[in-house]
Amino acid sequence: MTPTELSYLSITEAASGLRRKEFSPVDLTQACLKRIESIDGKLHSFITVTADLALEQARKAEQELRAGKDKGPLHGIPIALKDLYATKNIRTTCHSAVLQDWVPDHDAATVTKLREVGAVLLGKLGMHEFAFGGPSVDAPFPAVRNPWNTAHIPGGSSSGSGAALATGLCLGSLGSDTGGSIRTPSSHCSVVGMKPTYGRVSRYGVVPLSWSLDHAGPMARSVEDCAILLQAIAGYDPNDPASANVPVSDLRGELKNGIKGLRVGVPRANWFNENKGTDSETEAIFNDALKILEGLGAIVFEIDGQPFSLARKANQTILTAEAYAYHEKRFQEAPEKFGSSVRRRMLEGAFLSAADYITALRARTVLNEQIRANFSGVDTFVTPTAPRPPEAFETIDPNEQNLRPSFTNPFNLTGLPAISLPCGFTKDNLPVGLQIVAQPFEESTAFRVAYAYEQATEWHKRKPKL
Amino acid sequence: MAKEITLAQLQKMAERSGLKLSDEDLEKLLPGVNRSHHQLLELRELITDSIEPAAAFVTSRTEKR
Repeated sequence: MTPTELSYLSITEAASGLRRKEFSPVDLTQACLKRIESIDGKLHSFITVTADLALEQARKAEQELRAGKDKGPLHGIPIALKDLYATKNIRTTCHSAVLQDWVPDHDAATVTKLREVGAVLLGKLGMHEFAFGGPSVDAPFPAVRNPWNTAHIPGGSSSGSGAALATGLCLGSLGSDTGGSIRTPSSHCSVVGMKPTYGRVSRYGVVPLSWSLDHAGPMARSVEDCAILLQAIAGYDPNDPASANVPVSDLRGELKNGIKGLRVGVPRANWFNENKGTDSETEAIFNDALKILEGLGAIVFEIDGQPFSLARKANQTILTAEAYAYHEKRFQEAPEKFGSSVRRRMLEGAFLSAADYITALRARTVLNEQIRANFSGVDTFVTPTAPRPPEAFETIDPNEQNLRPSFTNPFNLTGLPAISLPCGFTKDNLPVGLQIVAQPFEESTAFRVAYAYEQATEWHKRKPKL
Repeated sequence: MAKEITLAQLQKMAERSGLKLSDEDLEKLLPGVNRSHHQLLELRELITDSIEPAAAFVTSRTEKR
């Protein structure tokens, strides 16, 4: 097996190969490090590469596996983290000049869990500055590029996670999602990303953007790999005030249960056509995906999208208010330290009143009830993940996102679990993602639908040519 | 329809918030600030007096030693 073939293995395949002794964790890690060195100069997906640590962890995993101390499917698997997960003694920058020299003295709870199951840390990944705004073109680190066309954005804010996975620089990753930041780069880079239920994964040690909307979650190259990662990081954590003490089912074990008779709701009316609407090629690809779900036995219904459309407005108000509150002192002292994109977006929060914030929280109560009421008639919602394919850096319009429907925001507002997986490509070879949303704490349902779709299609097997 | 916030008003609001922003920064901010105020009008349409904010405060007892 060549180093490139090794670094492109799924976690599932790599875990099997390690146990069959076809290769070692050191071989896997070296393959990823070699690929990072050879191609990441075109993508800028990594901010920090922890090569020495990774090789040390890989050697340890190799010894443990040889000695029969098997810690499960992530043992010896090279992964990388969005650079807002606190990592003890490893610089954690949030892609910002504000934190460019910050070296945490602790690990995020999820990082501790990944260490405990023997994962190998390759390094820290680029993102939108502080997980907000757009690509960080004036930050101290270059903006991440889309591997399918480097003139295009990779989506954010977990941009490095999307780009690194799509190009075989790591086998798994963690992102974070406050308005779509796991799902959008998953869609734009043609990988799989799961935003779990609010409270399912600890946010302890994840630099906050908006406390009541932030979700930590996995990204990978397959649905099964995403389930493996979520199984490892999910669970109650007393250090996170929002953590939910709800048992986690066997996510991987339930993948293959099929979707015959499953009721799928499509909230198209009053949402997909909002303002400039959904890109027609994206919607056509999405419609093809619906036909595949029907072919697999699902029953597809159209439902009203009005409350989903309004959710973006509440989400944005809460997000900007909370984000500004977190950074207020830094903005008062040195606003110039923030990049132009995040500065413009976050400062909007300075001009919201306490009453405005409470209005958005009251609207959240109403919209949450309206959206969740649909579950009396359907088991899942499906939408395109993004309303259009990734745009070119040259033509980014910062106001564009307000002129198109946001398919991701409503599920931060409601805290519902939502997964994005590849569902096609435009004629310009840019990826399109399918979003599947389930009831609270029913990640297994979203995974089951995603797995059935993935197994019936070939989109996840395509690789970008760099 | 709410009145648009002007650049002069935004300057005053920024000062009150302890922010030292350039005119250029404020000009870039203005469309977004006005957009978010218009959005709030739509959100206000949704709520009635009986609706509480989606925020929970949970008190807990401290055990006596």
